Amino acid sequence: MAKTDGNIYTLIFATVMVIVVGGILAGLAQGLKPAIKENERYEKQQNILYAMGVHENGDDTGSVNFIPTERVEGEYKKYIKQSYILQNGKLTESEEAFTVDMKKQSKLPKSERKMPLFVGEREGKKFYVIPMYGKGLWDAIWGYIALDQELVVQGAYFDHKGETPGLGANIKERYFMDDFIGEYVMEAGKYEGITVAKGNNDPVNNTKDDNEVDALAGATITGDGVSAMIKSTLKSYIPHIQNLK
Amino acid sequence: MGLLSKKDQKLIFDPLADDNPITIQVLGICSALAITAQLKASIVMAISVLFVLGIGNVVISLMRNIIPSKIRIIVQLVVVATLVIIVDQVLKAYAYTLSKELSVFVGLIITNCIIMGRFEAFALGNGPWRSFLDGIGNALGYGVILIIVGFFRELLGSGTLLGFKVLGDPIEKTGLYSIGYENNGFMLLSPMALIVVGLIIWVQRSRNKALIEEN
Amino acid sequence: MLEHVELFFKSIFIDNMVFATFLGMCSYLAVSKKVSTAVGLGAAVIFVLAVTVPLNWYLDQYILRDGALGTWLGPEYADYDLSFLSFILFIATIATMVQLVEIVVEKFSPSLYNSLGIFLPLIAVNCAILGGSLFMQSRDIQSAGLALNYGISSGIGWFLAILAIAAIREKIRYSNVPAPLRGLGITFIITGLMAIGFMSFGGMLTGGDEEEETTPVSEVTPIEEITKEASEELVLTTNEKE
Repeated sequence: MAKTDGNIYTLIFATVMVIVVGGILAGLAQGLKPAIKENERYEKQQNILYAMGVHENGDDTGSVNFIPTERVEGEYKKYIKQSYILQNGKLTESEEAFTVDMKKQSKLPKSERKMPLFVGEREGKKFYVIPMYGKGLWDAIWGYIALDQELVVQGAYFDHKGETPGLGANIKERYFMDDFIGEYVMEAGKYEGITVAKGNNDPVNNTKDDNEVDALAGATITGDGVSAMIKSTLKSYIPHIQNLK
Repeated sequence: MGLLSKKDQKLIFDPLADDNPITIQVLGICSALAITAQLKASIVMAISVLFVLGIGNVVISLMRNIIPSKIRIIVQLVVVATLVIIVDQVLKAYAYTLSKELSVFVGLIITNCIIMGRFEAFALGNGPWRSFLDGIGNALGYGVILIIVGFFRELLGSGTLLGFKVLGDPIEKTGLYSIGYENNGFMLLSPMALIVVGLIIWVQRSRNKALIEEN
Repeated sequence: MLEHVELFFKSIFIDNMVFATFLGMCSYLAVSKKVSTAVGLGAAVIFVLAVTVPLNWYLDQYILRDGALGTWLGPEYADYDLSFLSFILFIATIATMVQLVEIVVEKFSPSLYNSLGIFLPLIAVNCAILGGSLFMQSRDIQSAGLALNYGISSGIGWFLAILAIAAIREKIRYSNVPAPLRGLGITFIITGLMAIGFMSFGGMLTGGDEEEETTPVSEVTPIEEITKEASEELVLTTNEKE
């Protein structure tokens, strides 16, 4: 072992290791990038469609079933009619809406932020799908929420980067997301948002006009994150949606 | 068991009980607490650690004669991190749905001290085959505790197992709930994992008096 | 200034490394038999966190982050996103720092080395240290000063936790704990109870955490008015298109 203790050997070993590891990882990241990017695009399309109710959920089981990746591209074109970007209070139609990176945008000052809006049509009804981005307990959370013209939630999809499995991670379970359907984001003519509330005496979520859905046990901070994310994001969109009728 | 000598069998079976990584060696506690609110997450974590520890132990063992002792900790950490990142990236490209399920665990695995602990304590001084067995054994011992804790926390906390409502429906008041049983939401919170592990230690040491500590 | 104070107390009590996020548990449980050793390890953790978190903040800001290279290497590098390297780079910084500190302390203050030295290698594998850097990254700490503050205060939180449990363990030696629970078992359970106690600090968090641009209710423009303004704007933009 003595030969491995010298300073020069250590230095050479460290250099070689850094180069080898760096090379492997960089090569891998570069080589897999196209495949990963494509997967991410499909996922985004699936999520947007899911929020507006285009999915393959059965009636009974509690699992989330997206449109399969092979078909999602076509379905997306079929249902999503227009996309807009909302920037500094102005809504402009733009094809770029799909490629807007919510994470990057969330770091910009409010006036420069590009906020996408996707308008879909299903069975003659219009859906306004709004992407959201916020913070949970550990890391980022994001999602899509679909409103109709009356500002009633038609569907929601949430996802997260690293919430605790079994607790905060349950925001992407169907029973949580389904609770949002039918909730009204206005309260007596004023914008109210939707709050993930504990102990609201309505665990089955029968009351739809209370602007509240039932929280997840043991995931207070993640739930608060979801509330804050919905509240702050939808606010900017509301007047525009009423206009797009 | 012609394949494994007696000594090799010991490597696999000791960590399952008498030399358990969590309850005796005190390794890998953080993740054991974080993810055991659900049985499914516990199982996924146990399998991931099985892979990483088995392969990582072999890699470190193969490199044991060329790693400079001064920077061995960096080398070990880099090996784990590289392994995990490679797996993560490949899954993201070719099995995207699976990678979504596992992405949460990536960070937890790299920071899991059970992996470093076994590298340091075993793989650095033993051959690849024995290191592999040691890795498998310890990962299994770790997994067993994780699954026991996950089982109780999910059953008592949400009344489900792997998502199935085994105790009836708490909202419709069927099954056990019809006679006034309530879920103990407290079980879902992380502090209860500590207490459950404490109880497991109690049970284990009452059965095997040799493990009892002096004070 | 206020944000420093807020971050400081939040990291010590509300987001306590041990009781809220359960990081650094292994060394916390293993090295808490005596108060004196606990103090040594705790101090070392504070020190290492205080050094590595700001260092990793700079790494994150100028190398790892999406587009970070573009800010100082020129716009042609702005497309690189090296964030997949963060684990490895953070770990490398930590391990290097720990080894560096060990060498320096050994050279200049042998007495300090004797009391602290044995803990230093232990620290590199303490997940609280890597956790500190990863949280710094995922929580978007805004400045190097805040990162330093975050490192120190979460270190203090960890220090407090290990000090408390070591003191309890010294006292509990005189209690009649059931034999199988002695040592590790009872430590687990006490830590669980302490964590439940610390959860009450979480109540302090309600509200003020997210940066809410609070407009008092009376000032909120009724929706009809917003709509009117917006519709004028909107007509313009759609007209332009046509």
